[in-house]
Amino acid sequence: MHALIIDDSRAMRSILRRIVTDLGYDTTEAEHGQAALDHMEGGLVPDLCLIDWNMPVMDGYQFVQRVRDDPRWRDVTLMMVTTESEHGQIVRALAAGAHEYVIKPFTPDAIVDKLELLGLLVAEVPA
Amino acid sequence: MILEGPTYTDLHAVVDEVWSAFLGPEDPLLPALPDTGLGDGVTWSAATSVTGAWNGVVTVEIPDVVAQTATERMLGLAPGEDLSTEDVADAVGELVNMIGGNVKSLMPGPSALSLPLVARGTIASPSDLTEVSCLDLTWAGSPLRVSVLARRDVPARATDKQESA
Repeated sequence: MHALIIDDSRAMRSILRRIVTDLGYDTTEAEHGQAALDHMEGGLVPDLCLIDWNMPVMDGYQFVQRVRDDPRWRDVTLMMVTTESEHGQIVRALAAGAHEYVIKPFTPDAIVDKLELLGLLVAEVPA
Repeated sequence: MILEGPTYTDLHAVVDEVWSAFLGPEDPLLPALPDTGLGDGVTWSAATSVTGAWNGVVTVEIPDVVAQTATERMLGLAPGEDLSTEDVADAVGELVNMIGGNVKSLMPGPSALSLPLVARGTIASPSDLTEVSCLDLTWAGSPLRVSVLARRDVPARATDKQESA
């Protein structure tokens, strides 16, 4: 399983990478939506994208729209991981095609719970 | 004019949640002793703006030792490992981003959150901002300050009123 982690903060990418690698994922990182799309145009088809909302160049909402508009990526699971917690923003992201929504700050358990709901847990959760 | 902002309790809850989630629960945030301030050493400042139904700025000011420790913990590095200035700025920016995003959710919406602005030193506040909430805390023996500033409504100019009449 492969996770594409999209966040303009290296620190946040590192936190998310440690969580999902503990769960058995390989990871690729991108610092904004366009960089993530470039990886995918280059052939990467991740099982899971963890997507921040507020990023330079291309934000997470635009990224979700672009991925959902392309049939090559219809099986990619999209999970927003963001500080955007207004109800309207959550509804917009889900309507655009995001599968799940996690609000920062989060605990590793919150990510694990969402992946379990999505059927994307690939390894035993470390104690 | 009364400017709206989060209560002390709500702001403290937001900061506490961010700190414990990403920097670990072992060092609790504690109220600062009166007049301790941030000291004379190097500080880091970060700010993020909220614009929309509520307009304001959230700032975080921390001494270098807190910024370095926060960066180490967020990047999963051992204490004392070499950190670049960019790494520290990134980590401090992410802290204010999370605090700002959660403050935004406490205020009337809809509104938008800016990308964080980070400086080694102090960020000057625009003159149309008024502090509405401030937390002076200590973490692992070092001080930190989180402030929320609300933007005063700018009255329409007379010419604007005439044009719109």
